[in-house]
Amino acid sequence: MLIETGALAQELPALAGRSAQELCDLLAGLGFPVDGVETVAGAQVLEVDITANRGDAQSHRGMARDLAAKLGAPLAPLGLEPVPAGAPGLPIHLEAGAAGPYYATAILDLGAAQGTPGPVKAFLAALGAGAKDLPAVDASNELLHRYGHPTHAFDADRIQGFLAVRWAREGEKLVTLDGVERQLTPKDLLIADASGPVALAGVMGGDGTKVSAATRRVLLESAYFDPRTVRAMAHRHGLHTDASHRFGRGADPAMAPVARDLLALRLRDWAGAKLVSAWAVGELPMAKAAIGLPWSLVDRIAGQAIAPAEASRILEGLGCVLAPLDGGVQVQPPSWRHDLSLAEDLAEEVLRLLGYDLIPGSLPPLDSDPQPLADDYLKRRRLASRLAHMGFFQTVTLGFGDPVEREDGHDLGDHPHHRTLGNPLGEDYSLMRGTLLRDLDKVARLNLEKGAREVRFFEIAPVFEAHPGQPLRETWTLALVWGGEQGGEDPLTPPRSLAGAEGRSHLQGVLQALGIPPATFENFNRWELTGVEGGSKVRLGWHFEIPLERIPDAGARIIPKFAPFSRFPAVARDLSLLVGLDQAYAPLQAAMAAALAGAPLQDLRCVDVFRHKSLPPGRQAWLMRMRFQALDRTLTGEEVETWVQAALAAAQSQGAQLRG
Amino acid sequence: METSLLPADIEQARQAFPEALAACRDLDALLRLKGAYVGREGSLAARLMDLLKAAPKEQKRELGAAANALKNEWEEGLKARTAELEAERARTAALAGAWDPALPSPQPATGALHPLNRLMDRLVDVFRPLGYHVEEGPEAETEEHNFDGLNIPEDHPARGSADTFYFRDANGLLLRTHTSPVQVRVLKRIGARGPDGVSELERAGGIRFLAPGRVYRKDEIDPTHSPMFHQVEGMLVGKGIGMHHLKGTLAYAMKALFGPQADVRFRPSYFPFVEPGAEMDVRCPLCGGSGCRVCKGSGWVELLGSGLIHPNVLAYAGIDPSVWSGFAFGMGVERTAMMVSQTPDLRLFFENDQRFLKTMGGLD
Repeated sequence: MLIETGALAQELPALAGRSAQELCDLLAGLGFPVDGVETVAGAQVLEVDITANRGDAQSHRGMARDLAAKLGAPLAPLGLEPVPAGAPGLPIHLEAGAAGPYYATAILDLGAAQGTPGPVKAFLAALGAGAKDLPAVDASNELLHRYGHPTHAFDADRIQGFLAVRWAREGEKLVTLDGVERQLTPKDLLIADASGPVALAGVMGGDGTKVSAATRRVLLESAYFDPRTVRAMAHRHGLHTDASHRFGRGADPAMAPVARDLLALRLRDWAGAKLVSAWAVGELPMAKAAIGLPWSLVDRIAGQAIAPAEASRILEGLGCVLAPLDGGVQVQPPSWRHDLSLAEDLAEEVLRLLGYDLIPGSLPPLDSDPQPLADDYLKRRRLASRLAHMGFFQTVTLGFGDPVEREDGHDLGDHPHHRTLGNPLGEDYSLMRGTLLRDLDKVARLNLEKGAREVRFFEIAPVFEAHPGQPLRETWTLALVWGGEQGGEDPLTPPRSLAGAEGRSHLQGVLQALGIPPATFENFNRWELTGVEGGSKVRLGWHFEIPLERIPDAGARIIPKFAPFSRFPAVARDLSLLVGLDQAYAPLQAAMAAALAGAPLQDLRCVDVFRHKSLPPGRQAWLMRMRFQALDRTLTGEEVETWVQAALAAAQSQGAQLRG
Repeated sequence: METSLLPADIEQARQAFPEALAACRDLDALLRLKGAYVGREGSLAARLMDLLKAAPKEQKRELGAAANALKNEWEEGLKARTAELEAERARTAALAGAWDPALPSPQPATGALHPLNRLMDRLVDVFRPLGYHVEEGPEAETEEHNFDGLNIPEDHPARGSADTFYFRDANGLLLRTHTSPVQVRVLKRIGARGPDGVSELERAGGIRFLAPGRVYRKDEIDPTHSPMFHQVEGMLVGKGIGMHHLKGTLAYAMKALFGPQADVRFRPSYFPFVEPGAEMDVRCPLCGGSGCRVCKGSGWVELLGSGLIHPNVLAYAGIDPSVWSGFAFGMGVERTAMMVSQTPDLRLFFENDQRFLKTMGGLD
């Protein structure tokens, strides 16, 4: 809210001469940080951040009250001359119980039209609330900013018969001051006359009864309305007004009669208005029960012994009425402090006024057993670190998807409408993702478009899975993408495209290094990172995703079980095999390995693929390397030769030939 | 003249010799030249010997001397050139294995952790020595955990569909708007009494944990807002916990995070789930406190919200607030990351441009 420092000092004269910086520090120390300092038409205006619990602080007087308590300085007197109560000028019916329990009013004849005083106009201008030069309107507005109590002025001659504070009836309508016709519901609290609604209680007046330059008689309203009711109305009608903010956060009921008097006096002084009658109906809400505050609680919360006399002085300074209590004090909070309802609230007040600066800082003793970090959490961190070291960049994407996930080749076999938001930011953001790959692909494509040669990304995040009748599932998932072109940036690393069929092998190598068993990824069927080039779909690289629970956690055991290794020499033998271009590797490798079941085979793999026009048509050459090593002896040339021949025979049974 | 004794072609070859010698770029060429001039058979020197044998006796002496001189001249020339070429070959052989280390080196692939994850990891590491572990909860939450258990009033605007994302038909589930529902889950778990009538909290004597994670609010994407962002929540429950413990803990953490020179202030604030409430501000990193756009002229930037756990929150979870007390705090990860790095636009964290991740991320 905006605070004009001159008006603030009028409420608390002790502030006169203090710099804006001093004021900002004082206010922040009280829990009201200043978000900005501006000079508007010669006036200094602070933009003060007021927390939702402090409805009472939403005025210059309210802010001054806290500062007065902090500084121990007196507030300026209100300058109030009580307006004598008279006979009711028209019937007022309170029909909504606790939602509108009290209504103070007055009818005044406006004299010869006089304008709003210059200083008041300047005050309103500084707060960005332009004066209308209608004294009844401007005075009400000024009172709201200065004292925090919303009031309203009706054109009394437009009120028909009576006034009622009542709930709206189905189908009723009201054109509010902003010219908008509002459809009312039975949850709307109204001010109505014999003809129907004339105001949304505590939110905004009606257009038909507003004060204009032609108004000769005004009817003032200074009431108390239930905060919840006003908040709900403001929310329902999207009508967040100065009045609804103050009633909605809890106005000071005791101010209702006072504000009526202040408003009447201003009209007398500014416009020569003559009081016809002033009266009030209903009862102000009962004060809340007093709160017992044990001094031990204050000491515990403050982390130090606070002298009861000091704490009492602070509470009284805030307007509380104290009564003695064994080991503490009985506290009756003032009528404007709706937020004080627990002993903890009062302890906070003591601490707040003492200043949080004075709280000593100390670490709490470790009096409970610390728990280890969960394996799942550690696994994610290790995995992320591992991938980053392998050259992958971790991404964070928002996680909202569009409903074409399934058509996009990501049919995840669940019921996506059960993971769809009812109030999304837009259709493109309506589906909580069931896969990370769509977001990761977007990142990869965007980077390639921006000129990245190679893209390597991973994301670790939960994905959603929905089945009717089952709780929504969230599964921590890893997704990886690798595409573009690698190498070619130095004389020793030749360029190679990752978009080719062999690019998938590069990605699989990473999966294997992470300990993901090949059986897990053999069943995966969404491998391709695609993009559009020249209007047609092209492959840019490869991607993969897997739930984290299916990745073994290599780091879980700090020191694994010892596995013996041989101290005798290893023997390597190569077989160059001619095989068909369509030869499947796995069965050939398996057949050769099976033939070596009795041999101390350490490793058997293809280490080179050779394709050249010099080879017979339809054939390629695979260089198969076998490594033998026994745990207990040095191998002889003869036995190795026997094994190699056995492996060759097995390969030949699969259609391979020895390359001459 | 002596030379007049020699035939014209030999005389010509003699004159051409120095040039032919220099033209030999390798030892093979030199060998061929050697064969042509001084070889045993068919060479110029052999022909000279034949001429000498056939020469009349009176010429033999003179011709012999000339032939010898010529042969010596050639042999010495060849020898010197051989030495030159051999030296050159040795030098080339030595260079063949050489490599100028100034040529571009192949770079091992280096990736990076996302800066937001790094900051969250760092926070966990900072709190680890104080005995905090990590607790987590789902992103799709119940209203009970997200609001009710946190003393947030029924009609609080944050519960509205303008602020909070609700699932269309998933039994009132919403996307959590903060990491605080993890508090409610943990408090309910440790407050529940087992068959022996003792709760986990009573058995352990307290708990302290962090809850990092993704949270969602219905904000349009702009330079300072995103519908998804991250928070790190912290909570401690024990006996006799006061604001001094909260302040001491946060002061320790901020110094560990931002360095010993970090200038922070602790001031009153309000959140429904704490009482008293407090916020910690840090001296504006951009202007150093003199006032600028980032701190809106105030010299301070809000860092985190905190407070002592509201008695209603403890009571909701079945924990007696007259016995147990504690504190909680929550920090916006993006906000902190932006402030520390002076990143001008929040969206950069979610665009994942490799150039951004390369400079902003890092390895652990």
